[in-house]
Amino acid sequence: MGREVSESCLENLLIEIVSSFCTGFYVDKPELAARRIEAIGFQVGHQLSERCAIDQPRFTDHLEAIKFICKDFWSELFKKQIDNLKTNHRGTFVLQDNRFRWLAHLSVDPSLDASSSIQDPSAMAKNKAAQATGMHLYFPCGIIRGALSNLGIPCAVSADISNLPACSFLVRIKA
Amino acid sequence: MIVCIAVVGHQNNPLYLQSFTESDDALKLHHIVHCSLDVVDERVNNPKKSAPTLSETFLGLLYPTENYKVYGYLTNTKVKFIMVTTDLDVRDADVRNFFRRFHAAYVDAVSNPFHVPGKKITSRTFAERVSTIVKSFGLNSAG
Repeated sequence: MGREVSESCLENLLIEIVSSFCTGFYVDKPELAARRIEAIGFQVGHQLSERCAIDQPRFTDHLEAIKFICKDFWSELFKKQIDNLKTNHRGTFVLQDNRFRWLAHLSVDPSLDASSSIQDPSAMAKNKAAQATGMHLYFPCGIIRGALSNLGIPCAVSADISNLPACSFLVRIKA
Repeated sequence: MIVCIAVVGHQNNPLYLQSFTESDDALKLHHIVHCSLDVVDERVNNPKKSAPTLSETFLGLLYPTENYKVYGYLTNTKVKFIMVTTDLDVRDADVRNFFRRFHAAYVDAVSNPFHVPGKKITSRTFAERVSTIVKSFGLNSAG
C-alpha cells in the first residue's frame, strides 16, 4: 500500500526487543521472555494479515491460507516468497526460507564462546549460538501464528535453524 | 440511502453497529442485521447454490424485505459486513465499491495498536470515516 519500513531500523528494533527481554526483563526465565516476544509477533501478524488479505479471494481450505502466507504475506514482509513448502496433508506444514532476512546479518556474540569452560567448547558455543538465534525466531513465529489465527486457523508454529541462513518454520494446525 | 451498517465478528459477535435514520427504528434495523447472519452462514456453508461467488468476499444481495435491501460481505478473517439500504434499484458495482472502501476503513481501525481484537470498535475516527462513506454512497447512486 505504498508504505515502507526501513529494514535496518526494523532489524535493530528486533534485536533490541530480544536483548531487552532476554537480559533485562526476564533474565533467568528464557521461556517467559520467549512467550512475551512471541506474543508481540502474534499481534503484528494478526493486524498485518488483516491488511494483506484485503484483496484476496476468500480461502476455502487451509492449504490456500498457507499459500497466501507463503506468497503474498511473505512478499509483503520480506520481499520474497517462501522457497519451499512441504506438507503431510494432515495439518502439518513446513515453510522453508533459504535465506531468511532477519537472520542474514546475525553474528554470534564472541563473549558467549569465551565464557564456556566445558570440555567441548565448540559444541557449547554452538549450543549457545543456536539458543541466541532461536530467541530471534520467536518473533517471526508469532507473526505466522497471528496471521493464521486471524484467518481462522489456530495453530502452533516453531522454527528450525539446523542449516543457517536457511530457516524453516513448522506449522502444526490444531484440529 | 444506507440506513444501517454493521460489522460482525467471526463468532457472530457485534463489533460495530450504526444506523443512519432520523426515526426511532434502530431496533428493527438491528433485527434485520441479526436475521441476515443466518443467510451469510447459509451462503458460506452451502457453496453449491452460489458456485460463482464461492471465493468472493462480496456476498451480494442477502435478502430483500419490503422496504430494505440487505447486502453482505465476508472478509478472509471471517468478519462480516452487513449493509441495509432503502434504495431498491442499487447497482452491484456501487455496493462493491462501498464495501471496498468500508473494508479499508475497517482495516485501518483494527490496525490501531490500542484496539483489542474481538472487541467493539470504539474509534471516533472510524465512525466519522464510515459516515462519510455512507453519505457518498447516497450521492453515487443518485447521480
